[in-house]
Amino acid sequence: MSSVSVPYAEQPQWADVVPLPQYEGVEPLAPIFYTNEYKDATDYLRGIVKTGEKSQRVLDLTKHIIQLNPAHYTAWQYRYETLLAIKSPLDVELELMDEIAIKHMKTYQVWHHRRLLMTHLLRNTDEASTSSSSRSPSQLASTELTFIARTLAEDAKNYHTWSYRQWLLAFFNDDSLWDRELDFVDSMLNHDIRNNSAWHHRFFVVFQSGVREGEKDRDRILRREFTYVKQNISLAPNNASSWNYLRGILDYNKIPYSRLTSFVQPYTVPHADVPSDLVDLEDPPPSRGAQLPSPGAIEFLADVYEEEGGNSILKATELWKSLASEHDTIRRRYWNSRMKEGLRAIQVKS
Amino acid sequence: MSRLLVPLHVQSIQNLGKSQDELVYHLTAHLRMNAVYWGLTALCIMDHKDALDRQEMIDFVTSCWDDEAGGFGAHPDHDAHLLSTLSAIQILIIQDALDCVDVDRVVKFILSLQQPSGVFAGDRFGEIDTRFLFCAVNALSLLGRLSELDVEKTVGYIVQCRNFDGGFGSSIGAESHAAQVFVCVGALAILDRLDEVDVPTLSWWLAERQLPNGGLNGRPEKLEDVCYSFWVLSAMSILNKVHWIDAEKLTSFILSAQDTDNGGIADRPGDMPDVFHTLFGVAGLSILGYPGLKDLDPVYCMPADLIERMGLRKGWKNLERRTS
Repeated sequence: MSSVSVPYAEQPQWADVVPLPQYEGVEPLAPIFYTNEYKDATDYLRGIVKTGEKSQRVLDLTKHIIQLNPAHYTAWQYRYETLLAIKSPLDVELELMDEIAIKHMKTYQVWHHRRLLMTHLLRNTDEASTSSSSRSPSQLASTELTFIARTLAEDAKNYHTWSYRQWLLAFFNDDSLWDRELDFVDSMLNHDIRNNSAWHHRFFVVFQSGVREGEKDRDRILRREFTYVKQNISLAPNNASSWNYLRGILDYNKIPYSRLTSFVQPYTVPHADVPSDLVDLEDPPPSRGAQLPSPGAIEFLADVYEEEGGNSILKATELWKSLASEHDTIRRRYWNSRMKEGLRAIQVKS
Repeated sequence: MSRLLVPLHVQSIQNLGKSQDELVYHLTAHLRMNAVYWGLTALCIMDHKDALDRQEMIDFVTSCWDDEAGGFGAHPDHDAHLLSTLSAIQILIIQDALDCVDVDRVVKFILSLQQPSGVFAGDRFGEIDTRFLFCAVNALSLLGRLSELDVEKTVGYIVQCRNFDGGFGSSIGAESHAAQVFVCVGALAILDRLDEVDVPTLSWWLAERQLPNGGLNGRPEKLEDVCYSFWVLSAMSILNKVHWIDAEKLTSFILSAQDTDNGGIADRPGDMPDVFHTLFGVAGLSILGYPGLKDLDPVYCMPADLIERMGLRKGWKNLERRTS
């Protein structure tokens, strides 16, 4: 922006606005350069808000302030109201804010602003002025998904960005948008297998909001998901996110943990049996060099035994004991409490 | 093991806001009211409530009143927001100065922000988040006006934010996050609806947040951060599970994030301290029974004796206070 370093008072196009200082009668003792720039701009914004002006120059001013301080929510709010009042094309606004969004992706206002724009675009499709082009709302949403992907490439676990993506998908709820979502999750997980946000998103797509009418063959989907998560555990047996996902699938679909006993077992022991060269797609073995045993696997197997009940609970307590004393000592108090509960269950039964 | 440097932290809180000409002071104006609450609560827990001038604080709070909206902004001239409104109420209650608020108008403002789905917006701009829902429930409870809330609708939204891992997210479909777990569990505790929590799964998920270095993270496979000492421990206290934490290791982790020169606690060792992490570090230590600290109510994040006197105490359980 060319006017950044020139105070508003020295710009003729702002001569009619009376700036409103925030701290009347208080003179900063040691003003520094950009403090002055920020104070100058916000003084003019207060002046504008007071008169209620909505115009192109308000967009320039609010953009300037947002660049200096993206958390200034009044600037965002007034900007949005101005966009609507002067019927500024909202798709142009989205593009204009792309750079700011990527630079300040940890600031929620950045995402809320886009959410307001997308909401307005969808709800007011007939209004010619909202969009500068003839693109349909779902085309705009598709562009937006691409933009979000670009943002996540910068910070792959950004909470605001992911929840914005989830909101966008559920809000437009268009098959063409959901169709490509699993590929997107795959690419995120290929990049970082430990990205919990991406695992969560997978669950959201496969089992929650993303479930589509036509997908009646849930068994096929379940098989696909089991294969997927097993392969990922095989690659990184100590990744908490994939173990959580596996538990999530089982709990959500009310499948007993014992279904996976044969898969889990090799992960619960040190590298005794070196995996053969045979590829077992059903139960992929731990990858070479993986750190074993995996606490996640031991915990899982203990849950299988606990589920079996009876004397198997003794086997579970042995495993909990090994977690408490050796493989997951930071949580020893948790494992001790599981042991106590398990033993109590046996006593009650006998 | 190092100790909690109380005099230094008190001093660092007293120094906040003394350099109003610095850029950072302006850039954080939208959090000023929260910062005052964070500082005051940290002082209360360290038993130095009077280290900041009471009247000056009350004057600041009242100067942030947004008469048009009927709530408090974060700073004079800022629009009213739920975050700053809750902080203002908390400050005024701690300072026993609630009489300077038009409670009826504040209640009206808070209730006006509830959405048809049951969640609350933070302000009229409309951002929604379970954080704001908690702010509303908490504030209404502190004001003794919970009876005016549509509890079913509110609880209904929280339940929809519950995930497959037992945790809660910021909105429907969002990932579980320790801070969102605290706000959802805290709101359910205030509303006496903890029956909506999957206690075994969530307690397990919370225990999983502790890393081998003792610190807690907010989500699986993320870095530890001192602020989760409060978000995770408060929820565990409400579920009576703090004893699952390795308290010695977490205590050392929090203490190692202190700035031993200028006071204050950072997110992790070696980083710059700030008042947000100072409060949540001190709050975590109080929940862990650190000697010499006052009890913290984990539901309201306020002094426990005060909440008890107001008749609002819930069935949480912190670790017993150690004598040394």
